[in-house]
Amino acid sequence: MNPGRAAVEYANTLLTTEDAATGTTPRDVVWTHRKVTLYRYRSSQREHAVPVLLVFALINRPTIFDLRPGNSFVSFLLEEGFDVFLLDWGEPDDEDADMGLEAYVCDELPWGIRETLRAAEADEVSLLGWCIGGTVCAMHCALTHDTAVRNLVLLTTPIDTTDSRYGQWVARDSFDVDLVADAYPAIPGRMIDFANKLLKPKTNFWDTYANLWEATREGKARRDAYQPMAKWVADNPPFPSRAYREWITWMYKENRLVRGRMRLRGRRVDLRAIDQNLLVVTAGADHIAPPPGTAPIFDFVSSEDVTHFDRPGGHIGLMAGSRAREEIWPDLAGWLAERCSE
Amino acid sequence: MEKDEQLVQRNAFGELLAMATENVVALAKISADVGDLTVRNLRLAGRRDIARLGQQLARTEDKLESVLQEVERLQDELRAEREKAARTNGAPRSRAQSQ
Repeated sequence: MNPGRAAVEYANTLLTTEDAATGTTPRDVVWTHRKVTLYRYRSSQREHAVPVLLVFALINRPTIFDLRPGNSFVSFLLEEGFDVFLLDWGEPDDEDADMGLEAYVCDELPWGIRETLRAAEADEVSLLGWCIGGTVCAMHCALTHDTAVRNLVLLTTPIDTTDSRYGQWVARDSFDVDLVADAYPAIPGRMIDFANKLLKPKTNFWDTYANLWEATREGKARRDAYQPMAKWVADNPPFPSRAYREWITWMYKENRLVRGRMRLRGRRVDLRAIDQNLLVVTAGADHIAPPPGTAPIFDFVSSEDVTHFDRPGGHIGLMAGSRAREEIWPDLAGWLAERCSE
Repeated sequence: MEKDEQLVQRNAFGELLAMATENVVALAKISADVGDLTVRNLRLAGRRDIARLGQQLARTEDKLESVLQEVERLQDELRAEREKAARTNGAPRSRAQSQ
């Protein structure tokens, strides 16, 4: 393609990214509280008795579960006969500054589980958490002895932050988390996203655009794949300041979860109390929640049924990349199906 | 690991980033405070006023959620009682009937 035409196409791809269709699978609102919404995806082929509740991180949006037609984990689960629910944390704002980790672990998640059970008329649920969402799910199971969670799936989840790349920045004394949390009632999503991208500066700030340019010049650019992912990456909701302060201080500066010192509402979050069927998925090239930071959970849990998938791929690419449909989703669905019958 | 990734992992980079973050946050706070003060002096609702209203709404929603949970708990209790009574009377009732 000649450079002039390629430049126009390249610019068009970048400028129309915001219009890309994401999260298109039909769904209904089941329950809301503050900014949190519980969705249930429509399906006429529910086969498994235990519903699946998807929980994403507090940063970025959960549309990654339902990225685009043809590459949607939600659609895949529906096709496999699951009853799929999604707990969306929404877009917190200044008025949600008081929402700390306990609000998510002790209130929003258990309430979402309660409404899932009522809507599905089920007694138990499979909980699938990704990134911080996984940590929130693990904390819930560790804290709630009578929880209705039968199966717990943790995808690229930070548990032990020792030696993590992100920790090298935010765990140091010179990083004043209180200054940031006091200045912003809701930490701007762009700020958190910038820091995350800075972990791999060349890849995120240069290679992405250079690769798109090359592909456009060669006439091989796939807008339908690039735009939904780029749109998702740029969609960064704010992080409530209290939750941010607690996440950075407790997880990175003090590493409380694996030291057994995490307390929420006066109760200790004891990972040894996790006794659900447990599936942990780690990605070999994950720089945000690397496998050595997730694996320590195996030293704690008392689950009898424990499975670990360690696959090549990155923090997000493992589950949302073009090969996920063949390489990881069938294994996840198979693991769940075996444990979702009556 | 690539060179750029090695660079950002250095202690010096971490220190620089921490200091730069403090500067950016301090500047943002000053400009937000000035903006808010200006708006409020014009007798218009500033960001803080709107956030305060939002907090009041959130508190009201928290109370409504408590009521919802209590109603749902009572519904479950009532359904269980009805099913128990139906079993005692020998006429099983479906979930839909009992609602």
